[in-house]
Amino acid sequence: MPLDTSTYSLALLRVDGRRWNELRRLHAQIRTQAAADGSSYLEMGHTKVMCVLTGPAEQNQSQRRGQTSGGGGSARDTASINVNVMIAGFSSVDRKKRGRNDKRTQELEITIAKTFSSIVHTHLFPHSSISISLHVLSSDGSLLAALLNAATLALIDAGIPMSDYIAACTAGSTSSHSASDDSADPLLDLNTQEEQELPYLTVATLGSSDRIAVLNCESRLQVSRLEGMLVVGVDGCKQVKQILDRVIREKGVQMIREGAVDRSDTMVMDLDE
Amino acid sequence: MATSQVLLSPAELAYIHSSLSLRPPIRSDGRTSTQFRPLTAETGVLPGTNGSARVCFSDGTEAIVGVKAEIERTRADNEQEDQDDGAAQRQVRGDWVEIAVEIPGLRDDDASTVFLGEMLREALLGDGDFARKLWINRRFHWRLYLDILLISPPLSYPLPLLSLTTHLALLATRLPRLKSEGDEDPMFDDDWQASQFLYSQNESARPPITLLVVAIGDNVIFDPSKEELAVAESALAVSVAAAASEKVSQDQGRKLKLVSVRMVDPPSRLTPPGVPNGTSSGTGAAPAGKEGESVEGVWKAPVGGTKFAILDGIIQAVLEKGGVADEVLDGLKGVELA
Repeated sequence: MPLDTSTYSLALLRVDGRRWNELRRLHAQIRTQAAADGSSYLEMGHTKVMCVLTGPAEQNQSQRRGQTSGGGGSARDTASINVNVMIAGFSSVDRKKRGRNDKRTQELEITIAKTFSSIVHTHLFPHSSISISLHVLSSDGSLLAALLNAATLALIDAGIPMSDYIAACTAGSTSSHSASDDSADPLLDLNTQEEQELPYLTVATLGSSDRIAVLNCESRLQVSRLEGMLVVGVDGCKQVKQILDRVIREKGVQMIREGAVDRSDTMVMDLDE
Repeated sequence: MATSQVLLSPAELAYIHSSLSLRPPIRSDGRTSTQFRPLTAETGVLPGTNGSARVCFSDGTEAIVGVKAEIERTRADNEQEDQDDGAAQRQVRGDWVEIAVEIPGLRDDDASTVFLGEMLREALLGDGDFARKLWINRRFHWRLYLDILLISPPLSYPLPLLSLTTHLALLATRLPRLKSEGDEDPMFDDDWQASQFLYSQNESARPPITLLVVAIGDNVIFDPSKEELAVAESALAVSVAAAASEKVSQDQGRKLKLVSVRMVDPPSRLTPPGVPNGTSSGTGAAPAGKEGESVEGVWKAPVGGTKFAILDGIIQAVLEKGGVADEVLDGLKGVELA
């Protein structure tokens, strides 16, 4: 269903009532699944994903043979990261069954696996594999960003060392490629309706730094707008990182209070704040 | 089979097996033979579906089921004479429901995944009542998509978990209220508050549940854990549905109907046998005794089928008033439908 973007210029409000630089509600939980080594649940607006992580564990036969998504050539010395994205048939408005060999899904998997292979200290776990299963329960835009954020949380929950958070979000522009108006505003965190209509990119940064880990753009856009979109996107990633960090800290405090983890002498975190 | 292989030595298998063959059996988690593991369940977790449910077993396995409905035109060859109406419905009922099972780490066309899906489908369609609920008029019907997702890694055989989650999702499934009449193009009330449950609260019909039962010695054990499944002599999937009855009185209870019974290949058949001391070269004894003879306390993978008396006992225990199926259905009735 095409979106009528002409109303944006009237009140500077988007279809869901947000301003150009506002994120949707981001809600996350970690340690949602008792049987897994690491798990998380993340909502970005109506996009809902679940991540279940197993590993680092010994590689099984099939993974040893098909080292495709690991991203690293010298797979014996480092842990390989296998990503499985399962998009549930009920996730979109109309039910659509996507097979395992769906090209879009495979591209998502490879992007996520490559990103985390460069961030996770895989050299600490030779001959092993980390498998990340991502279940998409409901998709409403910014899917890759939500998957990256959920995978970050699950990796942290599993206690796998990595250099920093991967925080991701999308950024778009209020007018399409053909309409060449110069007053186009950049937009933050697009939903499905906006994604279908407007040019957008997904950007992920390393923590709250300006270092970009993922930049993915599949739509045509004028190169003069790229910089503005990128700035807004990176700024959004910093906000996302804050939220993810808060989720982790709250869970950590809760676990220490409940006595699940011993309080360490080197802890800098103040529990009473 | 969709379980990770249990790493137990033949001696451990023999120990578990002998304690489970006692009368009454002693289970490693202290349950009685008909007791289920505790579970947490919720419905209405996915607002974008017609019905959804999420169930977590205490061993950490978790499943989510979402039901989506679509309107579909009934194929023209179905429009026959009036008296054939019932028979014609039955002809197409199979493909009105589509079940897809997703198990992480397994391909969706993997034999065990397809087998799981078919077992659930067979139980659902085994009683002819379900297809009748999807019938709108002679030209249109509902098409139901059941997407069954196992979220956690498959620790134990996921059939009971998936079946209970599907049961709850179907109970929570609501379809818009039909406004049009007769055979005209269907028109629906767009008020979701006015939508109707697929399984009405007032009637006694309930979607089927599939229970996993194992037989060890002469004992029948319900809801086996993975260690118990690893020593099972035979494993059965028993599907039970509560039938619709016209007059429901409190003392009469629900009318249970056995929908299907299927043998599941237990993983115990793949386990290596133990070597008795008498024949072991390690103890210095001369290899005596015949090969394949069972020795007390030495593990030997079970062979052969299930005794008829055990099969009968299982069905008795499931179907009797106040039996296992009654207990499970009562427990699931407590789950609030969102």
